[in-house]
Amino acid sequence: MATDRRRIQGPEASVAPIILKSPNKIQLLDENLCRHNGRNLEDIRSISNGSAFIELNKTKIVCGVYGPRQTKIPAFSGKGNLNCEIKFAPFSCPKRRPPYRDSQEKELSQLIYEALTPSIRLDLLPKSTIDIYITILENDGTASCLAAAITCASVAVADAGIEMLDLVPACSASYINGHIFMDSDLIEEKRESGSLVLSYMPSLKEITHILQSGEVELNLTSQAIEQCTDSCSKIYSIMIDSLLLPIQNIK
Amino acid sequence: MRYVTPGTRLCFASEYEAGPGTYERDEYIYSSVVGIVQEFLPTVSSNTVEEKKQSKIITVSREKHQSSIPDVDSIITGKVIRMTTREAVVSIMVVGNIPCKDDYQGIIRSQDVRATEKDKVKIIESYRLGDIVKAEVISLGDARSYYLSTAKNEYGVIYAQSVAGAMMVPISWQKMQCTKTKAVELRKCAKPKDLFSKNQ
Repeated sequence: MATDRRRIQGPEASVAPIILKSPNKIQLLDENLCRHNGRNLEDIRSISNGSAFIELNKTKIVCGVYGPRQTKIPAFSGKGNLNCEIKFAPFSCPKRRPPYRDSQEKELSQLIYEALTPSIRLDLLPKSTIDIYITILENDGTASCLAAAITCASVAVADAGIEMLDLVPACSASYINGHIFMDSDLIEEKRESGSLVLSYMPSLKEITHILQSGEVELNLTSQAIEQCTDSCSKIYSIMIDSLLLPIQNIK
Repeated sequence: MRYVTPGTRLCFASEYEAGPGTYERDEYIYSSVVGIVQEFLPTVSSNTVEEKKQSKIITVSREKHQSSIPDVDSIITGKVIRMTTREAVVSIMVVGNIPCKDDYQGIIRSQDVRATEKDKVKIIESYRLGDIVKAEVISLGDARSYYLSTAKNEYGVIYAQSVAGAMMVPISWQKMQCTKTKAVELRKCAKPKDLFSKNQ
């Protein structure tokens, strides 16, 4: 007998579906005012292991750190793995940015990875991955955004309780007509002939990452490096304050 | 109380010994986490002259607890999630006494189940899916999983349910009995050390 192959051949006999009994009503609060999910009344759901927000006038960046958790990379490594992802919000720039990952975001992610890796004690975290997700809410100068993102991510990593050698503040500078413009904004950045981004560990007096682009004279560069390390030390004290303030208030 | 952030210089390395949450670099000890500075006297086991010379240990206790990570020799508690004839796959949930935020994967190979008659071990007669197992990490293992061992008296199954779904109690180191049906099932049971030492 020819049957229609495109039709689903069901069984001839039918069985009534099993109706699961709904579970007993869950008690929302126990005698210790503890909720059924283990939280207290005032607790919100924990979002990430560590997080930070930075606002430099118009530049606004949020950062979340997840992990350390088991790595999904199919190769054995005795050291931990750092995964950085930076994302521009579609509304962050004067021109709308498409929501998919473009080449600039990939480049910035790699730069942040390079700047942060020397500061984190990855040798203590075998086979683990730390995920850092950075979102730029408002962009006021790409170089300054990169510097702010490194600063922000470093605070978030410290907030997550991950062991690190030092916090990493970062600072940017632009070269315009023979002057050094520290932390330049979007308007200044359009007229620059070159720029410098410097990440620095003030306590250890070590530079973790340096990025220079464009054309510039040597003495101007060394002056810019000096100015950037000075600014980094200033940012460092603010980073320390922001980390210590919440724990000092509890006690 | 002294609160510190990563990178804060704590003291000279000659005065103290670097404990958890700190690191030593260029004659100084620095903090590596956000937290409170604490000092401890080393736990001296013998009173020899050399031991007395030991300096105090300086530590920084974290404000936020990081999820724990299994390491070689750490004792873990986990659940059997997958089984083959050669190995049982365990989802590591607790390391020492600290729960992991995300589960890590470990495997108990058949040669690591018990210390004797290793060649006669059958995984199916040692573990079942859903058993809660206490084991020791013997190696960081391959890319995917840690290698675990239960080849000691105190390691093995610590909680199991029978086919009938009731709890089982150990009746020997290889057998467990269902509390409901009295059926006997085979397991590699753990004999927890601290459980017996307390009664004495």
